Amino acid sequence: MADESAVQVESKAATLIEPDLNFVRELKEAGGDTLKKCFQCATCSVVCALSPDQKPYPRKEMVYSQWGLKDKLVNNVDVWLCHYCNDCSTHCPRGARPGDTLRAVRALSFRHFAFPSFMGKIVGEKKYLPIMLAIPVLILLLGIKIAGGHIPEGAVEYRDLFPLLLVDAIFVTVTFLAIGSIGFGLWNFLQGIHANAVAEGYAEDKPLAMGDYVKSLISVIPTILLHDKFKLCTTNRDRYWAHILVLVGFVGLFIVTNLGFVGIYGGPLLGINTDFLAPPYSIANPIKLFALLVGIGLLGGILLVIANRLKPKDAESTISYLDWSLIVAVLVTVSTGLLTWIGRVGNLGTVAYGIYFLHLGSVFYIIAYLPYSKLAHMFYRTVAMGYAAYIDRPFGVEGVAAAPVAAPEVEPTPAAEEPAAEAEPVEEKAEAPAEVEAEAPAEPEEEKPAEEEEKKE
Amino acid sequence: MADEKALTESILVVGGGISGLTTAVEAAEAGRDVFIVEKRSYLGGRVAQLNQYFPKLCPPSCGLEINFRRIRQNPRIKTFTMAQVENISGEEGNFDVTIKLNPRYVNENCTACGECAAGVTTEIPNEYNYNMDKIKAVYLPHDMAYPMRYVIAPEIIGTEEATKAKEACQYDAVDLEMQPESVTLKVASVVWATGWNPYDATRMENLGYGTVPNVITNVMMERLAASDGPTGGKIVRPADGKPVESVAFVQCAGSRDENYMPFCSHICCLASLKQTTYVREQLPDAKVTIFYIDIRALGKYEEFYTKVAADENVTLIKGKVAKVEADPASGQIVVEAEDIYSGSKSQAKVDLVVLATGMEPSTATARVPADVSYDESGFVVSEKPGIYAAGCARRPLDVATSNRDATAAALKAIQSTVRR
Repeated sequence: MADESAVQVESKAATLIEPDLNFVRELKEAGGDTLKKCFQCATCSVVCALSPDQKPYPRKEMVYSQWGLKDKLVNNVDVWLCHYCNDCSTHCPRGARPGDTLRAVRALSFRHFAFPSFMGKIVGEKKYLPIMLAIPVLILLLGIKIAGGHIPEGAVEYRDLFPLLLVDAIFVTVTFLAIGSIGFGLWNFLQGIHANAVAEGYAEDKPLAMGDYVKSLISVIPTILLHDKFKLCTTNRDRYWAHILVLVGFVGLFIVTNLGFVGIYGGPLLGINTDFLAPPYSIANPIKLFALLVGIGLLGGILLVIANRLKPKDAESTISYLDWSLIVAVLVTVSTGLLTWIGRVGNLGTVAYGIYFLHLGSVFYIIAYLPYSKLAHMFYRTVAMGYAAYIDRPFGVEGVAAAPVAAPEVEPTPAAEEPAAEAEPVEEKAEAPAEVEAEAPAEPEEEKPAEEEEKKE
Repeated sequence: MADEKALTESILVVGGGISGLTTAVEAAEAGRDVFIVEKRSYLGGRVAQLNQYFPKLCPPSCGLEINFRRIRQNPRIKTFTMAQVENISGEEGNFDVTIKLNPRYVNENCTACGECAAGVTTEIPNEYNYNMDKIKAVYLPHDMAYPMRYVIAPEIIGTEEATKAKEACQYDAVDLEMQPESVTLKVASVVWATGWNPYDATRMENLGYGTVPNVITNVMMERLAASDGPTGGKIVRPADGKPVESVAFVQCAGSRDENYMPFCSHICCLASLKQTTYVREQLPDAKVTIFYIDIRALGKYEEFYTKVAADENVTLIKGKVAKVEADPASGQIVVEAEDIYSGSKSQAKVDLVVLATGMEPSTATARVPADVSYDESGFVVSEKPGIYAAGCARRPLDVATSNRDATAAALKAIQSTVRR
């Protein structure tokens, strides 16, 4: 690793610490309330199954947090390599809960990069919840008013309440706004983590090569989809199934939504017949079956997420507002999504329209607030994991104990001697490939999928 | 002690370790009658199991011998070994204490000639050496034991082995008919000096004790280095007897940790530095690595730390060990920590790992049979008038501080005899 010289330079230069006390307060409010208990023993860095050998986390992030070094935290690639296993918190001798602190750092990181920035505040702080809820309700009520403003009679046909074109106009607009906003945030984030990694000494001091970066980004996608890194957790091991189900649910519904979209608009645009893709689908249609399957998967996943969070843990852990505000939205979205379908098939009249309204509202909530909600972690983490691959920063590599073989027999490798420190990472990479890889939440963009599908029916 | 006055001016000291001995000697030399009740078959406690004291590196026998002589010469001190306090009732100046005496099966006639043990083959774990080896079921607790008398383990009572031992004794010292007895004492005050137990290292699963060969605790290291220890004082890998070329000391193994013991055990830093000198003296080429959170060598001990740290074969790494794994290929042990000063993980591959386990107060598991209160870790905090805690039953202390604490307790105990 390129950090040897940097370490030495750092240790010699006097460093002026300028604590951002406000940031410390925000971290504590965002779930890092225990961070001041840390006494820097570094147990966490060692018990973490994911932490790299060189400049491991989370010990250094804990002291940055205590010191309020905001720049080093919001631009920190390592906090995104953390998968919230919380093995660190279980073993922490002080109850400082590094896992929860890093989660809070991540929340403040994407809040920091939120564009426009006031949205980060609105979504991130509990007191603004009424505003968050009011926005979709008002916009949808306005839409209904434009469409005629009354509840349709007769067989349930959602487009009588809300014409397809209007729904799509609203949601496509919101989706593109969200994509633009998060894209802007992610771009700044990427520049930030690169600059910080250079400063910390684990990246070379030269401009980011976007072509190589994109290749790295693509290379981590399988790891993310397969959740390889999650499997290395001990304390929060049961999150594996919950998280992968939610991810697969989102991705699946995204695909379905896009198929529906192509079905409706693809024909006229492309001049071919795409009606077979257009909703509404009969129950026997494979697309419908697939949609039901992933929808139920998502429901199961989110219920597991909730169950896991409510279960007593080794390390007593807080559940942040940011977590709940997304979890509840996903639960409402997926359950109303399924009920919307039942409402149509069962012809439930006014009740069905009510459910449909709720469904549209929650979908709006998820898409519009995506760049600022917990869901943003999907994109920030992906970008960060791509960056870690780009700078060749291995994490979650099993068999650390085997690594020192390269070092002189009986020697601690205090990173003091170059040869030892140099030899180590190489060795590690050589032995690790099988287990390596990263994991993480979903993939880029889309959110909207889930629901639009139903909406169109 | 038959007259009324003598009875009510007596003091009971529970625990015959360094704190209890000091309390007893100080109080007796100030003119009070003192009973010492000791659970084990000999006096001296944990100190008797040390190889050397820090920082002067003298053997504990010097300190203990002086106390034993003072006890032997002082008719005011009466000692009960293999005894336990079962009940304390009454109040300051007038306590009734029930003591249970467990049978030793050997009486005062014993000359420690060893004939009784000669024909015995049954072996039991040797507690004195922290079970690192075995001893015969008829045994002298250790070479310097006081009282210098053999013990017959209850395991063989009723067997032929016991009979053999009895027949071998020319002094009529073996009494296989001994039964547990109960004794009631009247005392004015009680000093509870039951000391500490080494914290159970198997609880820290990630530190490998009990699962990884050649991972031992610091108290075992004392025995390993002691000339009357399981290896005759040779520091070797206990699992296979192979030579030791490298040692890692793991500080705060269970101490300063909410998951185990939240407090600092006070002695472990100096103990590891001291044990480093055992290794360095005996094995001139051996490398020692000490992993620590903070080295707490305060006051006069700082000099000792500075001296040990200056040794070029000694490396101190700031960072707590959180992983200890066997390396089956080499039979060595890999110890992992984050080296905070370099910011990278450090893996030391060593022959022997010494866990600097801390002091769990004995009162965490065996409470005072009286109305006193404890802190969350089991140290005695509030004292009932007339019942005082001394030494490590009160807080983790080194030997020198224990002695001062014990002297203070002796004064309090004496005051209780005249406060009426």
